[in-house]
Amino acid sequence: MSNAKWADVIGWALLAVLLVLALTSGDTYTLKVVLWISLNILAAAALRFVMLTGELNIATAAFWGVGAYVAAILTAWYKLPFFLSLLIGGLAPMLLSVLFGYVTLRTKGPYFMLISFAFTEVLRLIYTQTESIGGNSGMIGIYPPRWLDPYYSAIVVAIVAALLAVFFWLERGAFGKLLKAIQNNDAVTESVGIDVLKMKVICLAVASFAAGVGGALFAHANRVISPGDFSFLVAVYALAYVKIGGETQFSGAIIGAVLLTLLNQYVIAFGHYEHLFFGGAIVVAMLVLPNGLMGLFERVAIAFGGTRENAAPAARGGH
Amino acid sequence: MDLAAQLLVNTLQIGSVYVLFALGLTLIFGVMKIVNFAHGEFFSLAALVVAVLMPVLAPALGLPLWVDFLIALAAAIGAVLVLGTLTYWIGFERYLRDLVGSFILSVGLILFLQGVFVEIFTATPRPVEPIVTGTISIFGGRITAQRLLIVALAITFTAMLYLVLQRTKLGKALRAVAEDREAAMLQGIRYRSISFYGWLIGVSMAGLAGALIAPLTVSQPAIGGDYLIKAFIIIIIGGLGSIPGAIFGGLLVALIESIFGYYYDLTIATIIMFVLVMVFLLVRPQGLMGHVER
Amino acid sequence: MAGGTLLEASGISRSFGGLKAVSNLSFAVRENEILGLIGPNGAGKSTTFNLISGYYRPHAGKLTFAGRDITGFKPSKVGRLGLVRTFQHHSLLADLSVYENILTGAYMFVRDAAEREQRIRETAGLVGLTSHMDELAKNLPHGHQRLLSIAIAFASRPKLLCLDEPLTGLNGAEINHALDVIRRIRDDFGTTILLVDHNIRAVMRTCGRIVVLNFGEKLAEGSPEDVSRNPEVIRAYLGGGTA
Repeated sequence: MSNAKWADVIGWALLAVLLVLALTSGDTYTLKVVLWISLNILAAAALRFVMLTGELNIATAAFWGVGAYVAAILTAWYKLPFFLSLLIGGLAPMLLSVLFGYVTLRTKGPYFMLISFAFTEVLRLIYTQTESIGGNSGMIGIYPPRWLDPYYSAIVVAIVAALLAVFFWLERGAFGKLLKAIQNNDAVTESVGIDVLKMKVICLAVASFAAGVGGALFAHANRVISPGDFSFLVAVYALAYVKIGGETQFSGAIIGAVLLTLLNQYVIAFGHYEHLFFGGAIVVAMLVLPNGLMGLFERVAIAFGGTRENAAPAARGGH
Repeated sequence: MDLAAQLLVNTLQIGSVYVLFALGLTLIFGVMKIVNFAHGEFFSLAALVVAVLMPVLAPALGLPLWVDFLIALAAAIGAVLVLGTLTYWIGFERYLRDLVGSFILSVGLILFLQGVFVEIFTATPRPVEPIVTGTISIFGGRITAQRLLIVALAITFTAMLYLVLQRTKLGKALRAVAEDREAAMLQGIRYRSISFYGWLIGVSMAGLAGALIAPLTVSQPAIGGDYLIKAFIIIIIGGLGSIPGAIFGGLLVALIESIFGYYYDLTIATIIMFVLVMVFLLVRPQGLMGHVER
Repeated sequence: MAGGTLLEASGISRSFGGLKAVSNLSFAVRENEILGLIGPNGAGKSTTFNLISGYYRPHAGKLTFAGRDITGFKPSKVGRLGLVRTFQHHSLLADLSVYENILTGAYMFVRDAAEREQRIRETAGLVGLTSHMDELAKNLPHGHQRLLSIAIAFASRPKLLCLDEPLTGLNGAEINHALDVIRRIRDDFGTTILLVDHNIRAVMRTCGRIVVLNFGEKLAEGSPEDVSRNPEVIRAYLGGGTA
């Protein structure tokens, strides 16, 4: 079996372990950690999906936030069923992302990155200015149905795994190859009849649906949300998971999210040194592991006689 | 009071600092092809150094306040240069022309430096005593002498950067690299050392902006972050890497901010700026002065 | 052999910052021909290519393709209608395999998976890359890369295949092979071809008709013999064209 296939096996095995833990563990702390790991995996996978086209979509954080607010409003105010709120929590940011993408995906590289950053921060400003959704202090009382409470972590893991399966399937198929073709050379891709803007918008829409569902699940796990939860840092952490796991492999997002979330559990104990430590960890990891853990894994495998894979290329720098 | 004149004076006053800040960002992008998200941290460091030194210098030296300010400003730029050199050697040097890698690195740096600044300077807001007092009237718009001094200094620094870029050998090399790195290297320009100087000049511009803002506000470690989003809007409008674009964009953003900030508030002004950027992109995706190949 | 008109450019112009790259240019590509487009450096060949394939919008003039006005269409729309071009530089999906490169070319035109597989095999076979399917495009030797860029475009089975400098950097044997591939695309598939290249001799050998550009305008048009005897053409080339 090739390295890439091994990497996939490791990724899916980790998800299976999370599911088993969520189903069997009675320990509240373990369940919480499993839940945060799963949500982080989803954020990382959603960010990485758009990275297949070569664009760094910081607005992953924005769509995560829209999903959270929409779902929270639906269950907390209108008492709509939880699962319906998840669905709409995915669809609303998806629609918004189509509008956003149609305008902004004409640009690429640093321009798109900065615009998606600005979009994220402007949405956050809008939340703080909107008193009806709690302004700066946000919303409280966002609960999943009572009967679901004991299974909440398991539900989250299952939904995340399902969405990841969709990402995996899309990436492996012709559509995923097309996204990589766009990343490589959008002019050539356009020349053979492929509407690059439309493809990028579809890609963004799929990723934003997943991000929205993630935000909705986050809101119901956290019970309270506020604008501060949806700053661009959400996307930065997601990118750190992808990068430290190794962006060329699908399972890099999974492995990175598992490791960094576990690390963060220890870091929280440092109190106000938390940021300092986590920032330092990201910087050190970037300097020591330029291709992430999967890159390290690949190097080790090659050293032991394996072969290099035709892995997806790194996202484009500059333009 | 003439409202239009007042709004113009306000624009100049806000804009001059935005321009300095955005110039640094756009210069670094031009030369290194990276976006320095940690630009605000250099701004914060300089503001904090000035805010800490000013109350200490005055009683210790017994010199006029403006001399104290110049000393504090020099110290602030010194601190920024030290931090800039360290961050370049340890990190950014390895991420030249790597947009994504440098992004994570610079955000990691934001988190790290925020922690360090809070340790060193604490989170307490630090005001600075006015350097000069009094109010001056220009074209019917009123401005405090303090702010006028700051504007004058900001314009001076901007002009100095412009002269350096246009006239000196270093400036020509920086522009050549920004325009076409490979052609510049063929002409014997050493890219690595030029990008280091570009980086140092860029972060110094952030530092100058921070040092100039310190006397006008209360400084605390997170102060630089507020400038970042506006600086991004400025360089999107002006075109990444474009020096005239950053100047124009900075003044435009300041104009919008003073008009909408006057009638509504600053948050609304920022939101409106973003909406304008979106509309603008729909019409002209290649930016105002920069050009994206299509 | 020559049929009706497939592509007609009438009076197209485009300037960049006041400099006229192409000015009031008219020419027609007839069905099933191989038309050569030549001219000294800076004559406007690349601009013409970008204009007809939709990468630049003409400032004036009209483009008609297969009886349809395509002026101002996006490149992808022009491509879907059956006018597909290759690129002089950056003509490949460098980090993708040969298979994935050709797949990209076929993607919009063959929906059925089995049929698409067949299309990819056939195209790879035509250019002689069947045994390199899993190699990354960037790792191929230069000659193979040039052929792959033709394969990407031809995988779409266009009506009009526009080749931008397909022979650059090839040695003698490789040039013969590439020209053979180009002729077979026309003869076996009935594809019309517009060929731009610096290698005048190769173009003369392959094309039925030739259009010569100079300073963004049409200098001459006709059979290879006529064109090579045309004094203005000779002067343009001997004078370096930019004198």
